[in-house]
Amino acid sequence: MNDKRPSNQPERPSTQIRWGRRLWIALSMLLLVYGLVQAVEESTTLNRITPIGMVQVAGEPLITKTTPDIADVDTAEPIAAPRPSRSDYPNIGVSSRAIVWILAQLHLFFAALVLAVPLFLLTIELLGVYTGDERYDNMAYEFMKISLTGFSITAIFGGSLALALFVLYPDFMGYMMHVFGVQVLVYAILFFLESFFLYTYYYGWNAFRYGNLKWVHLSLGLMLNASGLTIMVLANSWATFMMAPSGVNEVGAVVGNIWEIMKGPLWNPINLHRFIANIAFGGTVVGAYAAFKFLSTNDPDRRAHYDWMGYTSNFIAILAFLPLPFAGYWLMAEIYAYSQQMGITAMGGILAWLFIVQAVLIGTILLAGNFYLWAGMSRTDGSDRYKGLIKYIAAVLVVCFLIWVTPHTLILSASEISLLGGSYHHILGPLGIMPAKNVAVNLMLVATFLSFQLYRRSDKVATVSWAPMGNALMVPIYVVAIVNIIFLGVYYGYFTNTVYKVGSSVAQVASTLVVIIAGIILDTLMFRNAKTLPSHWGRIPDRAQYALFALPIAFTWLMGLMGYVRSSVKTHWHVYTVMKDNSPDNYIPTIAYAGNMITIVTVLFLLCVLFMFWVANLSSTRQAKPAAGGAV
Amino acid sequence: MKVLLKTLGFSLALTLLFTFVTYLLPQVEGEAPVEKEVDLSSLTMDDFITLGEDLFNNKGTCTLSHKPAPLGRAPDIQGTDMIALSDERLADERYQGEAKDAAGYMLESMIDPSRYVVATWGKKGTSDSESPMPAIDKPPIKLSTIEMDPIIAYLQAKDVNDVTVALPSPEDAASVASTDQKASDGTTLQAPAATVEEALGKYAGNACHAMDSSDTRVGAGLVDVGTRLSKEDIRQSIVDPNAVIAEGFAAAMPADFAAKMTVKELDMIVAYLLEKK
Amino acid sequence: MQTNDNNNALSMLISIIVSFMIALTFFYGLDHLVMSMQGLPLNPDLSPAG
Repeated sequence: MNDKRPSNQPERPSTQIRWGRRLWIALSMLLLVYGLVQAVEESTTLNRITPIGMVQVAGEPLITKTTPDIADVDTAEPIAAPRPSRSDYPNIGVSSRAIVWILAQLHLFFAALVLAVPLFLLTIELLGVYTGDERYDNMAYEFMKISLTGFSITAIFGGSLALALFVLYPDFMGYMMHVFGVQVLVYAILFFLESFFLYTYYYGWNAFRYGNLKWVHLSLGLMLNASGLTIMVLANSWATFMMAPSGVNEVGAVVGNIWEIMKGPLWNPINLHRFIANIAFGGTVVGAYAAFKFLSTNDPDRRAHYDWMGYTSNFIAILAFLPLPFAGYWLMAEIYAYSQQMGITAMGGILAWLFIVQAVLIGTILLAGNFYLWAGMSRTDGSDRYKGLIKYIAAVLVVCFLIWVTPHTLILSASEISLLGGSYHHILGPLGIMPAKNVAVNLMLVATFLSFQLYRRSDKVATVSWAPMGNALMVPIYVVAIVNIIFLGVYYGYFTNTVYKVGSSVAQVASTLVVIIAGIILDTLMFRNAKTLPSHWGRIPDRAQYALFALPIAFTWLMGLMGYVRSSVKTHWHVYTVMKDNSPDNYIPTIAYAGNMITIVTVLFLLCVLFMFWVANLSSTRQAKPAAGGAV
Repeated sequence: MKVLLKTLGFSLALTLLFTFVTYLLPQVEGEAPVEKEVDLSSLTMDDFITLGEDLFNNKGTCTLSHKPAPLGRAPDIQGTDMIALSDERLADERYQGEAKDAAGYMLESMIDPSRYVVATWGKKGTSDSESPMPAIDKPPIKLSTIEMDPIIAYLQAKDVNDVTVALPSPEDAASVASTDQKASDGTTLQAPAATVEEALGKYAGNACHAMDSSDTRVGAGLVDVGTRLSKEDIRQSIVDPNAVIAEGFAAAMPADFAAKMTVKELDMIVAYLLEKK
Repeated sequence: MQTNDNNNALSMLISIIVSFMIALTFFYGLDHLVMSMQGLPLNPDLSPAG
């Protein structure tokens, strides 16, 4: 089949025209430039926020609506959003919202996974090309194989979701189809493109493995990701249109073109947030797969392979996870800029309690990630140098975690206050307010980065002459940054006014980023040509693998929780300020109800993923031929 | 198989732990505002004030921000005598609005909160020149004028001040009913202005045009417009302002009044301007 | 030997002190920069100057 390959490769390695690589670079540049042009075009806040009703950007004057040409208004009578009454919603005996909730969340989990996996695998494949380490390529191919069914599962849930929406919310879906019209066709075409690239990418893996053909394969992967991401941003625009509609007037009649409808104020923040989160999500799922395989075998070679696979995917997941809070800040800031009302509903109203659950989840993720790094230090002989520090890092993490989950003051309506028997939560102390939490979150991030840095250093000995000086610089950066984070939180948080309190949180984040960036730069320079100590893949305690299960579970749950917030901030609107929700489920459910729903979808997702892995493993098993004359 | 059971068990236990956390938190449902049918023509003043209190606490979502220090995001209203305070504000040199009395001031702060921003409560970075409060006659809160009056009445009555707001007249009640009718057809949502002053306020006519002098603001002074233009001309300059532009002025006037104004509002404004001679 | 060790220890001490000075100055400047970028100027002693 591939006889040509081995002989082709060594013959003319240097004289070979590297057209494959040029193709890859050209395609990457094309996509990059296109993305940048779009981003720059969008860059001013005023352009991004197309006003509907009363829109005001913090610090800017009121945005006035650009006046539509009067002739247009006269000729084409715009169709307003429907105003269904309660009887217009079909009643099927069970909560329509619950059905749509489950289907939408399952669809989104799988969509996130099948978007994340190619993105994640393309990164791994590139790493393989640059390091020349075949393990990367094998791992990427293995995971592509087992996630192939995921694409069909995504489509099945997507179809069921669309069907459920059309049956249960006919007026709403009719309106959405009216608004997005043409775009749905583009969406369908993109599906064909994605399937084309998916199958050529997967089935071409071994056929296009070396030299120019490898770059062709990478280009296929790039196009697969490009079409996948385009599908994602198109679908995101439906969600953001529902939260912050643009391109329509106060009564929901379409006044703009499809582009104006899509580029609402929240579109790009959501796009960025989902893009980053997808990488982290994909990484954790691959990590759990590796952990499972690691635990189910005793063969040292296979354990070494899966230990390495688990480590690599966890590494990428955590790396993607670290900038996620900052993308979240941006999204929240844009929500506040779009509508104070919506921002307060999310952060200060009844939904605010849910950020305590979020703290528990993110705390779990950080603790599990750190624990895995510490356990992984047993792989190398050089890690003894740093083991003493672990208990202090652990102590910092736990204390900060506890501060973070302390409930804080909330903005409550009169009925909520009476329900709680007072506007203060009874555990409320000075630790319960926002500055303390900001300190805690930033210190946790710094501590996690320290774990990470120590892990990276544990198998190396620096050989550069200025290594002691480098360490002498790294230690003060940590110390001063930590002091600065605490100072900013305590001084501006408790002793100055609100404006400075809010502003100081940005300076705290900047301090954290400085530590991370300085650490990466310094270590890259310091460990250039470093002496590498032997490390033993597979030499890790079994219990460390459970950290790799905790990560995807907490992550999946977290995604479900954030989906509940994102959808709930619209309160009783299908499309905020434009189309009212008059269905029986137009209230925000209690947090325990949401918790039940999220657990149901998480467990269903877990089962579907298990099914996906099991089916993929079937293809590599072959039943032994029964002995002749055996029973039929 | 043993590994499968162990890892599944671990994963399930973890999800149940997260679920358990949600049970520890206060269970509050965020109910959608209930649209109450109030027969406006048969209200007593007490009903009117009670209606105002209800609107303040619920549909108006005022208490989301206006609550006692240190909880509030905005000045405490329910714990303060707003009438006495309004008089102080009107006398303040920073006051830029046009209200003449406490009731007018309160109405103005609801529909155009930036007219007077209480010191230290302004939007970050605007040095108190801009209010973070949404205009409550716009979505998402969107109270109608008929709903703002009872709130003012409530704010007056709660500190035993005289209520100066009048009960809605039968005509107002009728016009609200007809708006509801229209709203369900999806053509217009805002309550039409009942008087010409309201209409001018609603479309910010006073913002650009001086009504009682010939001074130029953004647009021409309109004190003598009735002598310059005919009824048809006035109507045209509102509906299609760029057709004929007064000498020396840019085409700055919004062109969408035709789509926004009700016929009755337009008629009122035209009649009002025609009287200006 | 004795002097050499002393020299080493001394240069180490100096580099630690210098590093601390650099880090302190850097984060001090960072606080000023980040706060003033948001329109929130600070006094030299870091108290709000608005």
